[in-house]
Amino acid sequence: MNKRLFLCFGILLVLTFNVQVLAQEETVVTNEQEALRTVPKDYAENYAFDDPEKRKSFLELTKNLRCPKCQNQNIADSNAMIAHDMRRKVYQMLKDGKSEEQVIAFMKGRYNDFVYYKPPVNAFTIWLWVLPVLFVVLMLGIFLMRRKTVDDENSDEKIAQAEALLKDE
Amino acid sequence: MKKLAWFLVPLVLFLMLSVFLFLGLFSDPTQRESAMLENKFPDFQLPDLMQENIIYDNSVFQGQMTLVNVWGVWCVTCAIELPYLTELSQQGYRFVGLYYDQDLDPDFGTKTVNRVRTEVTETLGRFGNPFEFNIFDVYRDTSLDLGVTGAPETFLVDHKGVIRVHHLGDINPRVWRNKFMPEIEKINVERGISDTQKGLEQ
Repeated sequence: MNKRLFLCFGILLVLTFNVQVLAQEETVVTNEQEALRTVPKDYAENYAFDDPEKRKSFLELTKNLRCPKCQNQNIADSNAMIAHDMRRKVYQMLKDGKSEEQVIAFMKGRYNDFVYYKPPVNAFTIWLWVLPVLFVVLMLGIFLMRRKTVDDENSDEKIAQAEALLKDE
Repeated sequence: MKKLAWFLVPLVLFLMLSVFLFLGLFSDPTQRESAMLENKFPDFQLPDLMQENIIYDNSVFQGQMTLVNVWGVWCVTCAIELPYLTELSQQGYRFVGLYYDQDLDPDFGTKTVNRVRTEVTETLGRFGNPFEFNIFDVYRDTSLDLGVTGAPETFLVDHKGVIRVHHLGDINPRVWRNKFMPEIEKINVERGISDTQKGLEQ
Protein backbone atom coordinates (compact mmCIF):
# COMPACT_ATOMS: atom_id res chain seq x y z
CA MET A 1 0.00 0.00 0.00
CA ASN A 2 2.71 2.35 0.98
CA LYS A 3 4.75 1.33 -2.07
CA ARG A 4 1.86 2.08 -4.43
CA LEU A 5 1.34 5.53 -3.05
CA PHE A 6 5.03 6.25 -3.51
CA LEU A 7 4.91 5.10 -7.18
CA CYS A 8 1.88 7.28 -7.91
CA PHE A 9 3.56 10.27 -6.40
CA GLY A 10 6.70 9.58 -8.46
CA ILE A 11 4.78 9.38 -11.74
CA LEU A 12 2.97 12.60 -10.93
CA LEU A 13 6.26 14.34 -10.27
CA VAL A 14 7.78 13.22 -13.57
CA LEU A 15 4.66 14.29 -15.46
CA THR A 16 4.56 17.79 -14.03
CA PHE A 17 8.23 18.23 -14.79
CA ASN A 18 7.71 17.18 -18.39
CA VAL A 19 4.81 19.54 -18.80
CA GLN A 20 6.93 22.38 -17.48
CA VAL A 21 9.73 21.68 -19.93
CA LEU A 22 7.29 21.48 -22.82
CA ALA A 23 5.71 24.76 -21.82
CA GLN A 24 9.09 26.43 -21.73
CA GLU A 25 10.03 25.13 -25.17
CA GLU A 26 6.81 26.47 -26.55
CA THR A 27 7.47 29.99 -25.29
CA VAL A 28 10.94 29.96 -26.85
CA VAL A 29 9.47 29.08 -30.22
CA THR A 30 6.90 31.86 -30.11
CA ASN A 31 9.57 34.40 -29.20
CA GLU A 32 11.61 33.44 -32.23
CA GLN A 33 8.61 33.69 -34.48
CA GLU A 34 7.87 37.11 -33.13
CA ALA A 35 11.43 38.24 -33.81
CA LEU A 36 11.11 37.07 -37.40
CA ARG A 37 7.78 38.76 -37.79
CA THR A 38 9.25 42.15 -36.87
CA VAL A 39 11.76 41.97 -39.73
CA PRO A 40 10.46 44.09 -42.59
CA LYS A 41 9.80 41.87 -45.56
CA ASP A 42 11.92 43.56 -48.23
CA TYR A 43 14.68 44.02 -45.69
CA ALA A 44 15.52 40.41 -45.15
CA GLU A 45 17.84 38.74 -47.62
CA ASN A 46 15.19 37.05 -49.67
CA TYR A 47 15.17 38.30 -53.22
CA ALA A 48 12.16 36.83 -54.93
CA PHE A 49 11.11 37.89 -58.42
CA ASP A 50 7.87 37.21 -60.24
CA ASP A 51 9.47 37.91 -63.58
CA PRO A 52 12.20 35.37 -64.55
CA GLU A 53 13.80 38.00 -66.82
CA LYS A 54 14.29 40.29 -63.85
CA ARG A 55 15.69 37.46 -61.84
CA LYS A 56 18.24 36.86 -64.58
CA SER A 57 19.13 40.55 -64.57
CA PHE A 58 19.58 40.47 -60.82
CA LEU A 59 21.94 37.51 -60.95
CA GLU A 60 23.85 39.05 -63.84
CA LEU A 61 24.20 42.40 -62.09
CA THR A 62 25.27 41.07 -58.71
CA LYS A 63 27.85 38.95 -60.52
CA ASN A 64 29.33 41.87 -62.45
CA LEU A 65 29.13 44.61 -59.84
CA ARG A 66 32.22 44.78 -57.72
CA CYS A 67 32.19 45.30 -53.97
CA PRO A 68 33.92 48.65 -53.30
CA LYS A 69 35.12 47.51 -49.90
CA CYS A 70 36.55 44.10 -50.61
CA GLN A 71 38.37 44.69 -53.92
CA ASN A 72 38.26 41.28 -55.55
CA GLN A 73 34.77 40.09 -54.80
CA ASN A 74 31.54 40.81 -56.59
CA ILE A 75 28.55 41.89 -54.56
CA ALA A 76 26.89 38.49 -54.88
CA ASP A 77 29.89 36.88 -53.25
CA SER A 78 30.79 39.45 -50.62
CA ASN A 79 29.43 39.54 -47.12
CA ALA A 80 30.49 43.13 -46.39
CA MET A 81 27.74 45.45 -45.28
CA ILE A 82 28.14 47.62 -48.35
CA ALA A 83 27.58 44.54 -50.54
CA HIS A 84 24.37 43.77 -48.64
CA ASP A 85 23.20 47.33 -49.19
CA MET A 86 24.07 47.23 -52.86
CA ARG A 87 22.25 43.93 -53.42
CA ARG A 88 19.21 45.39 -51.74
CA LYS A 89 19.43 48.51 -53.91
CA VAL A 90 19.79 46.46 -57.10
CA TYR A 91 16.77 44.42 -56.08
CA GLN A 92 14.69 47.49 -55.35
CA MET A 93 15.66 49.20 -58.58
CA LEU A 94 14.83 46.15 -60.69
CA LYS A 95 11.52 45.78 -58.86
CA ASP A 96 10.80 49.42 -59.66
CA GLY A 97 11.20 48.58 -63.35
CA LYS A 98 14.67 50.06 -63.86
CA SER A 99 16.81 48.55 -66.60
CA GLU A 100 20.22 46.93 -66.09
CA GLU A 101 21.93 49.96 -67.65
CA GLN A 102 20.17 52.27 -65.22
CA VAL A 103 21.33 50.22 -62.24
CA ILE A 104 24.92 50.22 -63.54
CA ALA A 105 24.78 53.98 -64.13
CA PHE A 106 23.43 54.48 -60.61
CA MET A 107 26.30 52.52 -59.07
CA LYS A 108 28.94 54.13 -61.29
CA GLY A 109 27.63 57.53 -60.28
CA ARG A 110 28.49 56.69 -56.69
CA TYR A 111 31.48 54.38 -56.88
CA ASN A 112 32.99 55.26 -60.29
CA ASP A 113 34.00 52.76 -62.96
CA PHE A 114 35.64 50.70 -60.23
CA VAL A 115 32.29 49.23 -59.29
CA TYR A 116 31.70 47.47 -62.62
CA TYR A 117 33.90 44.62 -63.77
CA LYS A 118 33.74 45.63 -67.42
CA PRO A 119 36.01 48.64 -67.85
CA PRO A 120 34.84 51.34 -70.26
CA VAL A 121 36.83 51.84 -73.47
CA ASN A 122 38.40 55.28 -73.50
CA ALA A 123 41.68 56.95 -74.40
CA PHE A 124 43.25 55.70 -71.19
CA THR A 125 41.97 52.11 -71.11
CA ILE A 126 42.19 51.36 -74.85
CA TRP A 127 45.80 50.28 -74.26
CA LEU A 128 44.57 47.22 -72.43
CA TRP A 129 43.36 45.84 -75.74
CA VAL A 130 45.83 47.47 -78.12
CA LEU A 131 49.10 46.67 -76.33
CA PRO A 132 48.91 42.86 -76.54
CA VAL A 133 48.01 43.02 -80.24
CA LEU A 134 50.81 45.51 -80.90
CA PHE A 135 53.25 43.26 -79.08
CA VAL A 136 52.32 40.21 -81.12
CA VAL A 137 52.58 42.13 -84.41
CA LEU A 138 55.94 43.60 -83.42
CA MET A 139 57.39 40.26 -82.37
CA LEU A 140 56.14 38.58 -85.53
CA GLY A 141 57.72 41.37 -87.60
CA ILE A 142 61.07 41.02 -85.86
CA PHE A 143 60.98 37.25 -86.18
CA LEU A 144 60.30 37.33 -89.93
CA MET A 145 62.90 40.04 -90.55
CA ARG A 146 65.63 38.19 -88.71
CA ARG A 147 64.91 34.92 -90.41
CA LYS A 148 65.22 36.52 -93.83
CA THR A 149 68.55 38.21 -93.09
CA VAL A 150 70.00 34.97 -91.79
CA ASP A 151 69.07 33.25 -95.05
CA ASP A 152 70.51 36.04 -97.22
CA GLU A 153 73.80 36.41 -95.47
CA ASN A 154 74.93 32.84 -95.11
CA SER A 155 73.45 30.38 -97.53
CA ASP A 156 75.56 30.97 -100.66
CA GLU A 157 78.75 31.39 -98.72
CA LYS A 158 78.18 28.28 -96.67
CA ILE A 159 77.34 26.11 -99.65
CA ALA A 160 80.56 27.22 -101.29
CA GLN A 161 82.49 26.40 -98.15
CA ALA A 162 80.88 23.02 -97.85
CA GLU A 163 81.59 22.19 -101.46
CA ALA A 164 85.21 23.23 -101.05
CA LEU A 165 85.54 20.89 -98.11
CA LEU A 166 83.95 18.05 -100.04
CA LYS A 167 86.33 18.57 -102.95
CA ASP A 168 89.36 18.36 -100.70
CA GLU A 169 88.31 14.96 -99.57
CA MET B 1 75.99 50.51 -83.55
CA LYS B 2 73.61 47.63 -84.05
CA LYS B 3 75.24 45.72 -81.22
CA LEU B 4 74.77 48.68 -78.91
CA ALA B 5 71.07 48.81 -79.76
CA TRP B 6 70.64 45.12 -78.94
CA PHE B 7 72.21 45.80 -75.61
CA LEU B 8 70.35 49.04 -74.84
CA VAL B 9 66.81 48.11 -75.88
CA PRO B 10 66.36 45.28 -73.34
CA LEU B 11 68.13 47.34 -70.71
CA VAL B 12 65.77 50.28 -71.15
CA LEU B 13 62.74 47.97 -71.18
CA PHE B 14 63.97 46.29 -68.02
CA LEU B 15 64.53 49.62 -66.28
CA MET B 16 61.05 50.80 -67.24
CA LEU B 17 59.51 47.64 -65.85
CA SER B 18 61.56 47.99 -62.67
CA VAL B 19 60.38 51.55 -62.11
CA PHE B 20 56.77 50.50 -62.75
CA LEU B 21 56.92 47.62 -60.28
CA PHE B 22 58.87 49.67 -57.75
CA LEU B 23 56.21 52.38 -57.74
CA GLY B 24 53.64 49.64 -57.27
CA LEU B 25 55.21 48.81 -53.92
CA PHE B 26 54.07 52.16 -52.56
CA SER B 27 50.65 52.40 -54.19
CA ASP B 28 47.59 52.03 -52.01
CA PRO B 29 45.17 49.58 -53.60
CA THR B 30 42.27 50.97 -51.61
CA GLN B 31 42.81 54.50 -52.84
CA ARG B 32 40.28 55.60 -55.41
CA GLU B 33 39.06 58.77 -56.97
CA SER B 34 35.75 59.59 -55.33
CA ALA B 35 32.80 60.10 -57.65
CA MET B 36 31.41 62.64 -55.22
CA LEU B 37 33.88 65.50 -55.52
CA GLU B 38 32.42 68.85 -56.62
CA ASN B 39 28.94 67.34 -56.34
CA LYS B 40 26.21 68.68 -54.17
CA PHE B 41 25.69 66.69 -50.99
CA PRO B 42 22.89 64.25 -51.94
CA ASP B 43 19.41 65.19 -50.79
CA PHE B 44 18.44 63.59 -47.53
CA GLN B 45 15.86 63.76 -44.77
CA LEU B 46 17.02 61.90 -41.72
CA PRO B 47 16.33 61.98 -37.99
CA ASP B 48 18.67 62.95 -35.20
CA LEU B 49 20.36 59.95 -33.64
CA MET B 50 19.26 60.86 -30.14
CA GLN B 51 15.82 62.35 -30.80
CA GLU B 52 13.91 60.95 -33.73
CA ASN B 53 11.47 63.87 -33.86
CA ILE B 54 14.22 66.22 -35.07
CA ILE B 55 14.57 65.82 -38.85
CA TYR B 56 17.57 67.19 -40.74
CA ASP B 57 17.92 67.95 -44.43
CA ASN B 58 20.46 69.68 -46.70
CA SER B 59 19.78 73.05 -45.11
CA VAL B 60 22.14 72.09 -42.25
CA PHE B 61 25.04 72.88 -44.59
CA GLN B 62 23.91 76.36 -45.57
CA GLY B 63 26.35 79.15 -44.82
CA GLN B 64 28.81 77.04 -42.87
CA MET B 65 31.72 74.82 -43.74
CA THR B 66 31.02 71.38 -42.29
CA LEU B 67 32.95 68.15 -41.85
CA VAL B 68 30.66 65.14 -42.11
CA ASN B 69 32.15 62.13 -40.38
CA VAL B 70 30.67 58.71 -41.17
CA TRP B 71 31.07 56.54 -38.09
CA GLY B 72 29.64 53.94 -35.74
CA VAL B 73 30.41 52.56 -32.28
CA TRP B 74 31.27 49.19 -33.82
CA CYS B 75 34.08 50.77 -35.85
CA VAL B 76 37.48 50.55 -34.17
CA THR B 77 39.27 53.12 -36.31
CA CYS B 78 36.50 55.63 -35.59
CA ALA B 79 37.25 55.39 -31.87
CA ILE B 80 40.91 56.04 -32.60
CA GLU B 81 40.26 59.23 -34.56
CA LEU B 82 37.63 60.64 -32.17
CA PRO B 83 40.12 62.36 -29.81
CA TYR B 84 41.81 64.16 -32.71
CA LEU B 85 38.47 65.18 -34.23
CA THR B 86 37.46 66.52 -30.83
CA GLU B 87 40.64 68.57 -30.76
CA LEU B 88 39.81 70.00 -34.18
CA SER B 89 36.25 70.79 -33.15
CA GLN B 90 37.63 72.71 -30.19
CA GLN B 91 39.63 74.79 -32.69
CA GLY B 92 36.31 75.83 -34.19
CA TYR B 93 35.70 73.37 -37.02
CA ARG B 94 32.15 72.14 -37.29
CA PHE B 95 31.70 68.38 -37.21
CA VAL B 96 28.47 66.56 -37.93
CA GLY B 97 28.23 62.80 -37.52
CA LEU B 98 26.54 60.57 -40.05
CA TYR B 99 25.82 57.52 -37.94
CA TYR B 100 24.95 54.03 -39.06
CA ASP B 101 24.78 50.77 -37.21
CA GLN B 102 24.87 47.37 -38.81
CA ASP B 103 23.53 45.64 -35.71
CA LEU B 104 20.18 47.32 -36.22
CA ASP B 105 20.06 45.48 -39.50
CA PRO B 106 18.25 42.12 -39.38
CA ASP B 107 20.85 40.81 -41.85
CA PHE B 108 23.45 41.05 -39.12
CA GLY B 109 21.73 40.97 -35.78
CA THR B 110 19.23 42.90 -33.80
CA LYS B 111 19.89 45.70 -31.40
CA THR B 112 17.36 48.19 -30.14
CA VAL B 113 17.69 51.90 -30.90
CA ASN B 114 17.90 52.64 -27.20
CA ARG B 115 20.83 50.31 -26.79
CA VAL B 116 22.59 52.05 -29.70
CA ARG B 117 21.99 55.42 -28.06
CA THR B 118 23.46 54.25 -24.78
CA GLU B 119 26.52 52.92 -26.55
CA VAL B 120 26.96 56.14 -28.52
CA THR B 121 26.78 58.27 -25.38
CA GLU B 122 29.25 55.96 -23.69
CA THR B 123 31.73 56.00 -26.61
CA LEU B 124 31.59 59.76 -27.03
CA GLY B 125 32.00 60.20 -23.28
CA ARG B 126 35.12 58.09 -23.30
CA PHE B 127 36.91 59.28 -26.46
CA GLY B 128 35.55 62.82 -26.85
CA ASN B 129 32.61 64.26 -28.71
CA PRO B 130 33.46 66.41 -31.75
CA PHE B 131 29.91 66.42 -33.11
CA GLU B 132 27.43 69.26 -33.10
CA PHE B 133 24.82 66.57 -33.73
CA ASN B 134 24.54 63.11 -35.27
CA ILE B 135 22.39 62.32 -38.28
CA PHE B 136 21.04 58.79 -38.12
CA ASP B 137 21.27 57.06 -41.48
CA VAL B 138 18.78 54.38 -40.55
CA TYR B 139 18.71 52.35 -43.77
CA ARG B 140 22.10 53.59 -45.00
CA ASP B 141 20.55 55.10 -48.14
CA THR B 142 22.43 58.36 -47.74
CA SER B 143 25.69 56.48 -47.19
CA LEU B 144 25.09 54.66 -50.46
CA ASP B 145 24.32 57.95 -52.23
CA LEU B 146 27.58 59.32 -50.84
CA GLY B 147 29.59 56.40 -52.18
CA VAL B 148 30.59 55.36 -48.67
CA THR B 149 32.36 52.00 -48.57
CA GLY B 150 32.76 51.68 -44.80
CA ALA B 151 33.68 53.66 -41.74
CA PRO B 152 35.34 55.97 -40.98
CA GLU B 153 35.00 58.29 -43.93
CA THR B 154 34.94 62.06 -43.84
CA PHE B 155 33.49 64.61 -46.23
CA LEU B 156 34.36 68.30 -46.29
CA VAL B 157 31.21 70.14 -47.31
CA ASP B 158 31.54 73.83 -48.13
CA HIS B 159 29.13 76.65 -47.23
CA LYS B 160 27.07 75.98 -50.38
CA GLY B 161 26.59 72.29 -49.57
CA VAL B 162 29.13 71.06 -52.15
CA ILE B 163 31.46 68.16 -51.31
CA ARG B 164 35.09 69.25 -51.57
CA VAL B 165 37.01 66.40 -49.96
CA HIS B 166 36.10 62.74 -49.58
CA HIS B 167 38.52 60.91 -47.33
CA LEU B 168 38.47 57.15 -46.72
CA GLY B 169 39.97 56.07 -43.42
CA ASP B 170 40.92 57.96 -40.31
CA ILE B 171 41.88 61.60 -40.01
CA ASN B 172 45.24 62.22 -38.41
CA PRO B 173 47.45 65.34 -38.32
CA ARG B 174 49.20 64.36 -41.55
CA VAL B 175 45.97 63.76 -43.48
CA TRP B 176 44.51 66.94 -42.05
CA ARG B 177 47.51 69.02 -43.09
CA ASN B 178 47.93 67.54 -46.57
CA LYS B 179 44.39 66.79 -47.66
CA PHE B 180 42.00 69.02 -45.76
CA MET B 181 43.87 72.25 -45.04
CA PRO B 182 44.58 73.19 -48.70
CA GLU B 183 40.89 72.81 -49.56
CA ILE B 184 39.75 74.63 -46.40
CA GLU B 185 41.98 77.56 -47.35
CA LYS B 186 40.50 77.58 -50.84
CA ILE B 187 36.98 77.66 -49.40
CA ASN B 188 37.91 80.52 -47.09
CA VAL B 189 39.30 82.51 -50.03
CA GLU B 190 36.06 81.88 -51.95
CA ARG B 191 34.05 83.08 -49.00
CA GLY B 192 36.26 86.14 -48.73
CA ILE B 193 37.48 85.40 -45.26
CA SER B 194 40.86 87.12 -45.24
CA ASP B 195 42.06 85.61 -42.00
CA THR B 196 42.98 82.19 -43.35
CA GLN B 197 45.78 81.48 -40.94
CA LYS B 198 43.76 78.87 -39.12
CA GLY B 199 40.80 78.61 -41.43
CA LEU B 200 38.45 79.07 -38.54
CA GLU B 201 34.75 79.63 -38.85
CA GLN B 202 33.77 83.12 -37.76
